[in-house]
Amino acid sequence: MKNLFGLLLSLVLGAFIILALNNTAAFPAFGEVDLADRVSEQYFTDGNVAEVGSANIVTAIVVGYRGFDTLGEVTVLFISALGVAIIFGEKKQERLDLKFKPNFMLRVGSRVLFGMILITSIYIIFHGHLTPGGGFPGGAIIASAVLLLYLTDDRFRSNVKGFKILEGIAGSLFVVIGLLGLVLVTSFLQNFLPAGTVGDLLSAGIIPIIYVLIGLKVGSEISGIVDNFLTEEESA
Amino acid sequence: MIQYAAIILFVFGLYGLFTNRNVIKMIVSLNVMEVGLNIFIISIGFTYDGIAPILSSTTANGLLYVDPLPQALVLTAIVIGVGTTALGLAIAKSIHKTYNTFDLDEMGDKE
Amino acid sequence: MSAILLVAIPLLVAFLSILVKKYAPYLLIIVGLFNLVMLFLLQDGGVIIGGFDQPLGINLLLNLYSRIALILINALIVVIACLNIKDYGKYGSILLLAMAGLNGLVLTVDLFNFFVFLEISGIAAYLITSSNKKPTNTFHYLALGAVGSSLFLFGVIILYAMYGTLNYGAMIEAIAANNNYAEVVLPFTLMFIGLGVEAKLLPFNSWVKGALGHSNTMSGPMIASVYAAALSFVLGRMIDNLFLFQGTLLTIVTVLLTVGILLGDFMAFSSTKTREILLFSSVAQASIVALLFVNGVVAWAVWLIIANALSKTVMFLVINKATKEVGCDETKSLQGLFTKNILVGLAFTLATLSVMGLPLLVGFMIKLNFLTALAGAGQIWLIVAILIASLVEGIYFVRLLVKLWYKGENEISVKYNLSFKVVFVVIALALLAFGSYTAPMNQIDNSVDAVTEVVNNG
Repeated sequence: MKNLFGLLLSLVLGAFIILALNNTAAFPAFGEVDLADRVSEQYFTDGNVAEVGSANIVTAIVVGYRGFDTLGEVTVLFISALGVAIIFGEKKQERLDLKFKPNFMLRVGSRVLFGMILITSIYIIFHGHLTPGGGFPGGAIIASAVLLLYLTDDRFRSNVKGFKILEGIAGSLFVVIGLLGLVLVTSFLQNFLPAGTVGDLLSAGIIPIIYVLIGLKVGSEISGIVDNFLTEEESA
Repeated sequence: MIQYAAIILFVFGLYGLFTNRNVIKMIVSLNVMEVGLNIFIISIGFTYDGIAPILSSTTANGLLYVDPLPQALVLTAIVIGVGTTALGLAIAKSIHKTYNTFDLDEMGDKE
Repeated sequence: MSAILLVAIPLLVAFLSILVKKYAPYLLIIVGLFNLVMLFLLQDGGVIIGGFDQPLGINLLLNLYSRIALILINALIVVIACLNIKDYGKYGSILLLAMAGLNGLVLTVDLFNFFVFLEISGIAAYLITSSNKKPTNTFHYLALGAVGSSLFLFGVIILYAMYGTLNYGAMIEAIAANNNYAEVVLPFTLMFIGLGVEAKLLPFNSWVKGALGHSNTMSGPMIASVYAAALSFVLGRMIDNLFLFQGTLLTIVTVLLTVGILLGDFMAFSSTKTREILLFSSVAQASIVALLFVNGVVAWAVWLIIANALSKTVMFLVINKATKEVGCDETKSLQGLFTKNILVGLAFTLATLSVMGLPLLVGFMIKLNFLTALAGAGQIWLIVAILIASLVEGIYFVRLLVKLWYKGENEISVKYNLSFKVVFVVIALALLAFGSYTAPMNQIDNSVDAVTEVVNNG
């Protein structure tokens, strides 16, 4: 009975959305979007591109025009990591055992891979304003490298306290950079460094700096979450 | 039509959330719903023959780009989804610790 | 000096507070007081972020309406934090983030930014309810909250696809220029449902019973007064500036809210658990507030939000503290609670009577005025519904009060700290004082519409 009700409700909602969108003239059909009708058109004007200095327009929006959203986004991740830690309790944790004994090759091989993954993530973070990528994917890749070590070595335990410190400092620096913009120029998170030539590695003002901070923060937060899930309270 | 697929995915997720009583399955449904929404957001910005919104030295003006704003929004939405999922899984783990089951119906009147 | 500091400083301190966990609650109180001082110093007006004016970037807006909301939110958070510093100290960082999230929610005039802050404050709320130690209830809240914010985002995205902007002011203009209400029915419905989940409107609020039915001295007042007030404020602004319900949608929303009022009060009537009585009564009140905004009675809706937030803080603090010491919240087992705590009892009684709307208290002024306003708008059926609900409300509250005042079979003794008593007395006096002196609020009547104007003027 309950399932039927859920099915009906979902069907009605889906039909309502599809019908309403089909019958709305203002809603553009798939693939026939005219950018001139939207704000996005202005992101491509020469003046704005030169002012922000980022070749990747998505990055320009994420960190530049709508940097405040990104600060909020980082905060969401921060608060989840904090919440996961609170829910699991603050007692001393010890890590879960693996179901098998990892042999020498697995452990050494994973260390080698760890370095390569880390370098990839650094590349992705630093080129966020030039190519697809940036702090969020880069940070997730860092965390995946940490996860790899957890899965291949039963004695590995990352330095959780270090992650916490890194996370706190990276987040604070993000806000501090924002406040510097408020003090040095006129508004919060405004660029106060030269924009440089579009397409250079060292360009786009504060965008690469913020993306590095985001990368560090996301990496340490997700690693912290991974650690929380792979440990349990010491059975004393 | 990819937008229909996205909406159907969204509704599937909602249906799963309504009908499942297993905490883990509910989190999966939540994720299915979010993926549907994310695909829908991305589809909003697509134009036929549009290229990725990244300027390169060889391109001149007058090119047709896809709308970059939905792509930026979807990045935020994905990260927020990750945060909610992590929290949901943590709560699921603590539910399992308290009641020894993931099924909301099997918990009985313990609460 | 800029309104952005109201969000940026709590965030900065929250990031730093995980390095010095012990001091987080004290930092929270300092930041809260700083915000309150700032609120009295700041000028009204829009704030640009990132150096890009709307519609390219994100704007914040501080006007009388948001200022009142912010003062209420920050002051209540400080009070709640002060009272719970010992028991719930480890939630200091969470409360800081909740403060930043709610401040941003009230200040922002960008729809997607609004969604981001909705998520920040939402996740903070899930964590606040996790202090109840009832993981299933927290999970229920999380699942519903996630669905609600997804629906809200869905609506925002559809609006963006149609009008190509995310800014409030620009959006309102574009919709007015298009002048075709039928095409915005879908996004507005989705957004209203999404906000309704968080704002405790029936029938989207099944999380409330679990989250508040087992609340403690921190989560109870935080969810029932701070979050309820903040979300009512933003919902009110959305309704009066953006949604502007018309036609069939107006009828549906009105019926839904009226049913919500009646159902909430009847559910409170049939409950024997003290906390459930309080939470169902606040569900009914949330629907009344939304209904007032739908009918354009802004000033009295704002008054009602403030009065409710203050009364509910007292009521939840009294009951949750008693429940914690007695170990059960059946009205029967709390019988005779006030025989030894006469001062607390008086404050609780004043708060209850104010919610019921008895003369001399602020609740009476509000009820009288909004009923007059509704009568002026010709909404006779709404008045009848609200009066029936008030009658039911009166019966269950009087029943509750009688039980709490008269001694039962078992003697119970609950000790309230001095700090609790001070808060109760101050709030009770405020409820009395505002009952006769309502001048300062009469001026906010039109400021809710100022959003469009200020945004348009840069």
